[in-house]
Amino acid sequence: MYRYDTIDREMLADRAAEFRSQVGRRLAGDLSEDQFKPLRLMNGLYLQLHAYMLRIAIPYGSMNPIQLRKLAWIARTYDRGYGHFTTRTNLQFHWIKLRDAPDILDELASVDMHAIQTSGNCIRNVTADPYAGATAEEVDDPRVWAEAIRQWSTFHPEFSFLPRKFKIAVTAAPKDRTAARVHDIGLVLKRARDGALGFEVIVGGGMGRTPHIGPTIREFLPVNRLMSYLEAILRVYNRHGRRDNIYKARIKILVAALGVEEFTRQVEAEWLKMDAQAEGGVDLPDTELARIRGAFAPTGFESLPLQSEPLELEKAANPAFARFVRNNLKPHKKPGYGIVEISLKAVGETPGDATADQMDVVADLAERYGQGDIRVTHEQNLVLPHVKLDDVPAVWAGLREAGLATPNINLVSDIIACPGLDYCALANARAIPVAQNIAEKFRDEERAELIGELKIKISGCINACGHHHVGHIGILGVDKKGEEFYQLTLGGSGAEDAALGTILGPALPYDRVADAVDTLVDVYLRERTDGERFLDTFRRTGVAPFKEAVYADAH
Amino acid sequence: MPTLIRWRDGRAELAEDAFTHVADDQDVASGDVIISLSRFQADGDRLLHEGRKVGVRLTSEEAVEALTYDLPRIAVVALEFPKYRDGRHYTNARLLRERFAFTGEVRAVGDVLREQAGFMVRCGFDAFEPADGAGSQEWDAAARRYRHVYQRAADTRIPAYVERE
Amino acid sequence: MKALTANRLLDGEVVFWKAGQWVERFADAELFSDDEAATAAEAHGKNQPTVVVDVYLIDLIEAEGVWAPISYRERIRALGPTNHLAHGKQAEGGAVIEALQHAHGAARSTGRVNLIKRK
Repeated sequence: MYRYDTIDREMLADRAAEFRSQVGRRLAGDLSEDQFKPLRLMNGLYLQLHAYMLRIAIPYGSMNPIQLRKLAWIARTYDRGYGHFTTRTNLQFHWIKLRDAPDILDELASVDMHAIQTSGNCIRNVTADPYAGATAEEVDDPRVWAEAIRQWSTFHPEFSFLPRKFKIAVTAAPKDRTAARVHDIGLVLKRARDGALGFEVIVGGGMGRTPHIGPTIREFLPVNRLMSYLEAILRVYNRHGRRDNIYKARIKILVAALGVEEFTRQVEAEWLKMDAQAEGGVDLPDTELARIRGAFAPTGFESLPLQSEPLELEKAANPAFARFVRNNLKPHKKPGYGIVEISLKAVGETPGDATADQMDVVADLAERYGQGDIRVTHEQNLVLPHVKLDDVPAVWAGLREAGLATPNINLVSDIIACPGLDYCALANARAIPVAQNIAEKFRDEERAELIGELKIKISGCINACGHHHVGHIGILGVDKKGEEFYQLTLGGSGAEDAALGTILGPALPYDRVADAVDTLVDVYLRERTDGERFLDTFRRTGVAPFKEAVYADAH
Repeated sequence: MPTLIRWRDGRAELAEDAFTHVADDQDVASGDVIISLSRFQADGDRLLHEGRKVGVRLTSEEAVEALTYDLPRIAVVALEFPKYRDGRHYTNARLLRERFAFTGEVRAVGDVLREQAGFMVRCGFDAFEPADGAGSQEWDAAARRYRHVYQRAADTRIPAYVERE
Repeated sequence: MKALTANRLLDGEVVFWKAGQWVERFADAELFSDDEAATAAEAHGKNQPTVVVDVYLIDLIEAEGVWAPISYRERIRALGPTNHLAHGKQAEGGAVIEALQHAHGAARSTGRVNLIKRK
């Protein structure tokens, strides 16, 4: 894992000191709320319904046990004993006091963490494949590039006041676990026939009010030119992105307005000009890339047989464990190892929430069995990427004791939900209780497995933090004459087969949503042919049979 | 004479401002002036012939490319921030320095707060008219708060990856 | 009927105006039947930028014998998140808290959509 050096640490210390002085000026009345708000937002501090919310960056979703234990400690000391993992692989605390925030930033800095650029119109926390360095599918380790982007984007002097926020995802596997095509920039690492590495560069995807699947503007960008190419894209955006209308300010609107060809032409022209003037340039030298790469070098893997006897024995003896293995254990590139997904979607709980005690348990298990490596997925779960198959029974037992062994990864109850109106000042409707109602409906684990992969994503407003546009079933909370209603969409996908959902029909009231999902699932089970996922069936049949069933019920 | 903050040799200092800002609906004052782009395009030649120094003020809608051929005879390019959140002039400043090799003064005017000081200096601004009452000391502290930088920009600071070598 | 609300600067706590003070419980909030008095209190509140932020008036409606915020959002602010009943002001319980929680149920079952009007 990447370790911060003195330079990285002094950056964090300087930032924490700056924020402390800004809070001091605000409390003394030297800064107005209008002046202070953008400053606190640049440090991830929002004012929500009940308190301040602090959003802590987890760069490319990667942390170590010391960091997770610190988050648990902060949860106990400054919050109410829990935290919420987000679709940007960050962690939010919902009960923070402004007066404590400078101390919390100091505490975070002591374990190489921060809240830098987790809000504001800047380049946000970069996300990467949570299986990076562990999956056999990847052509290279995307974390090398994600870390390079983290550094380049941190306090970028030219791009800290963009027209709007800016999100970048990096993946190196054909199976996309980052939602790259609905990012401002999605980078897909590929290997050419001659062995050279390059990025497919996708620009102008996004969700929100006007969702777009991002087009590819370059099929193959040599990896060592990444930073200058990003700089060219951001420069075109910074100059020409709209600033007159917050809803039309994301890069997706610029790309759509100019057309992909013209946008690409402008980026490439800017890139060439940068080259001509570059003195030292912005591309990272090979030495720095090698240094970063070294930090992610695989370590500590033993030579193990492909199959694990203890795991197979436990599977045979214990159906609950066997179910966990079927759903939460993913193949690792090294024989005898596995990737363990930890679901934060236990029935009845809040999607993405973890208590301080649970954080400590995960930190302990990672330390003991997982090479000290913990990941956060954009689907609001955690991952132990390097677990010996022999140790999976012990990991499972530890998780189970902490209420973390829910065997539902990618299943119907593995629901993404934003905090919604229970916490968020922007929300129009609640998202969490809707997720809880649906999960309750599919409590039967047998049935959930029978249904198979089904991604439900819920947002409490059009900003789409819950990724509803790309849910196999997407649910959007709307405010209809003062009441909570929910707009359902079907057939979206945030994966490599990215697609935007189709609206099912008129919005449904709060208490009908879970039943409607149940009906949709029944239609799928009736219509599906062998091996079809919900998404496949929907794509074959179209919306008609689903619509008919849900709205027939209404009469 | 109003004062402004100047960035010189890696420090902020107070300086006397020899220039007068002239709005489009005002008569041009005597001495050195800063005028809008449209006024410069209309009257620039005449004013320069009078032997005074002329600066041009750009709104954030205006691109520095409009000045490409005039830069050698312009003393000041004043980039006006309508709101502190409008970041277009960071690019304009870098282009002036890095692409057009402008060696005159690049001045930040408008909604200019000390929180932007570090970014502005890095993008090539070297004169500031703070709107938040910041003096040279506050400006200096803000601009030099960070001991390191991660990326190259229009200044001479050494990025972390070079520091590490 | 109206009440004046804000968030306290120092800790973000939801607060309500009561005769020149900011109090934490909606049950203690001053109720304004007179628009002029409400606006005057609002102006007063907005004049305390180092004490509170986001000062605004909320509309109330009578539900089960007590005055409750019309808007669903405002009831959640006065109560706490619905997924953690032990968090927020609702944890304290009491007649007004119960009435607010009830107002929510009543709004749904009777379909009186105007009861849940957002500000």
